[in-house]
Amino acid sequence: MAYRSDFVEVRGVRTHLLKGGRGRPLLVLHPEFGANMWAPYHDALAAHFTVLAPDHLGFGQSDRPEWLETIDDLVFHYLDLLDTLHVERLSIVGTSLGGWIATACAVAHPERIERLVLAAPAGIKVDGVPRYDFFANSFEDTLLHLFHDPARAAQILPTEYGPEVIVQAYRELTTLARLAWNPYLYDRKLQQRLPRVQAPTLLVWGENDTVLPLPHGEAYAALLPNAALKTLPACGHMVPLEQAHGFANLAIEFLTASPSSSAGEGA
Amino acid sequence: MQFFYFHLMPWPYLPRDFDRTYDSAWVTLPNRLYDPKRGHRLYNEYLDELEHAERLGFDGLCVNEHHQNAYGTMPSPNLMAAALARRTSRAKLAILGNAIGLREQPLRVAEEIAMLDVLSGGRVISGFVRGIGCENLSLGVNPTYSRERFYEAHDLIVRAWTEPGPFTFEGTHYRVRYANIWPRPLQRPHPPVWLPSQGSPETIRFAARHRYPFVSVFTPYANAKRLLTEYKEEAERLGYRAPPGQLGYAVATYVAPTDAQARREAKPHLLWLFRRGLKIPPHFLAPPGYLSEDTLRRFLLAGVRPPSELTFEELERDGYVLLGSPSTVRDRLAEIQKELGIGVFVGGGRIGDMPHDKAKRSAELFARQVIPHFRPGATRGGARKSHAARGRR
Repeated sequence: MAYRSDFVEVRGVRTHLLKGGRGRPLLVLHPEFGANMWAPYHDALAAHFTVLAPDHLGFGQSDRPEWLETIDDLVFHYLDLLDTLHVERLSIVGTSLGGWIATACAVAHPERIERLVLAAPAGIKVDGVPRYDFFANSFEDTLLHLFHDPARAAQILPTEYGPEVIVQAYRELTTLARLAWNPYLYDRKLQQRLPRVQAPTLLVWGENDTVLPLPHGEAYAALLPNAALKTLPACGHMVPLEQAHGFANLAIEFLTASPSSSAGEGA
Repeated sequence: MQFFYFHLMPWPYLPRDFDRTYDSAWVTLPNRLYDPKRGHRLYNEYLDELEHAERLGFDGLCVNEHHQNAYGTMPSPNLMAAALARRTSRAKLAILGNAIGLREQPLRVAEEIAMLDVLSGGRVISGFVRGIGCENLSLGVNPTYSRERFYEAHDLIVRAWTEPGPFTFEGTHYRVRYANIWPRPLQRPHPPVWLPSQGSPETIRFAARHRYPFVSVFTPYANAKRLLTEYKEEAERLGYRAPPGQLGYAVATYVAPTDAQARREAKPHLLWLFRRGLKIPPHFLAPPGYLSEDTLRRFLLAGVRPPSELTFEELERDGYVLLGSPSTVRDRLAEIQKELGIGVFVGGGRIGDMPHDKAKRSAELFARQVIPHFRPGATRGGARKSHAARGRR
């Protein structure tokens, strides 16, 4: 499906935005790997929505302002982006880092978020459940952990590893480290604030996720006021990249259901 | 030229299966491989060697900070400097250096250095370093702030040494409402600050601006030359000529009666240093944000081969080590001095898993047959007698 690549100025910060489809707007927030990418699941979602897929600040082609330090900075940035685009209220699909940001948006401004689809969101920790360390492993090893079937990693692998590809990957990992080095991939305060979320929420987890294993999904499902947890077989951490079809079906069904039948109420 | 004796205090007892079993001598090397009983003997042996270096006539003794690894078992160099302060009387105690940005409260470094300076009667040289990338992993400190924290910690420490307290410091990373250190350092305005570095352009500019001696450490000779040249050029841009005392060069050094013997004896230990002690995968060495994108790009484009992949002959050729008979080392060092304009040489010490006896013999040869040729009044080919005699005391 056709999509456009645009740059939007958000309070002076250049934000790269992929946009495609038609219908009501849907914000799609990418995981820590896979910025600036229009993948098959974007296509599937774009058949029903106008998909807005920005690069997080410090990822893809978006600027990395000096002030970028915490997930909150991205929350305010995305609220500003919505204002810039004149979108008052919408649903968000977010994966891993993107799911964390989406959740934090819904905590900060519950009234602006209609529904949430969270694919293996980061943001909380579960005691005793190990998380894979993106910062202390090689890129090759990381790719093996992101996917259940490493052949799927080809989807986000660059075709060649020139210096600029490595520098860009390092830049994005640096942004992730800035946001989530310590505490590692979670916010100490998020857990206690999750009851603020009003949006019906669909959590989707890969059964074979070794980055943020399934107990994280169970914890999210227990803490969010109105959430259902679905799992996908033969699927690692990069849920919408590894199981595009299965994920998109679940997401579209959830996002297009009438209000009374939506979400966690039936879970 | 001033001569400094450097010690890393390595852990030489790596298991036989180290090469195939462990990815790194840092961060994840299990600490069950450290044996405190052997450590007790080693620490004392290492301190003996440093104390002996003072007796041999070295001008200064160097210790440094590294965490959670087998390459250098000195997480607190200030503790070792304290041990040396009471057992030495003349030599400078050069801490090269404290990794100030890794501290949660760098005021603690200001205090410890002040303590050491008072205790030692003003013999402290205070090196500041960022720490290597591994240490951000080992101590949980965000590497994306490494440089910012380094500069801010520096500002806080120097102010704490020089500014009447109490004063308030409110930085981005460090804040203290009542900075007011007791004791204050003995040296005025404060103990000399040195910057040992493998040389990013930012560090070189910072050092030249503050007129802090820059010591190129453990890098190939061509790179050391480039760094010191950049430092001198930066000084000239700032309107001064960098004196030799501001230019330092650190290199692994080994001296034996003949070149062949020096090579033969140093080889296994030099290879230990680079292939085991410095066995560090890139993701430990440069965790995200530790390097700037420019530095990484420059590094990738230069296509530098990691020293762990070099043969002994290549390590020697590229100047990762200075070794040979006394006359070979003397001549090469004279060339280096002339070419780099250095006034500070940092060498000596054990290379990797070198045993005590070899290290001691090498240090003695260096002190008796190399150093005297670089003392005031020495002539090329013949040292002044008084210095040679002092070395034999």
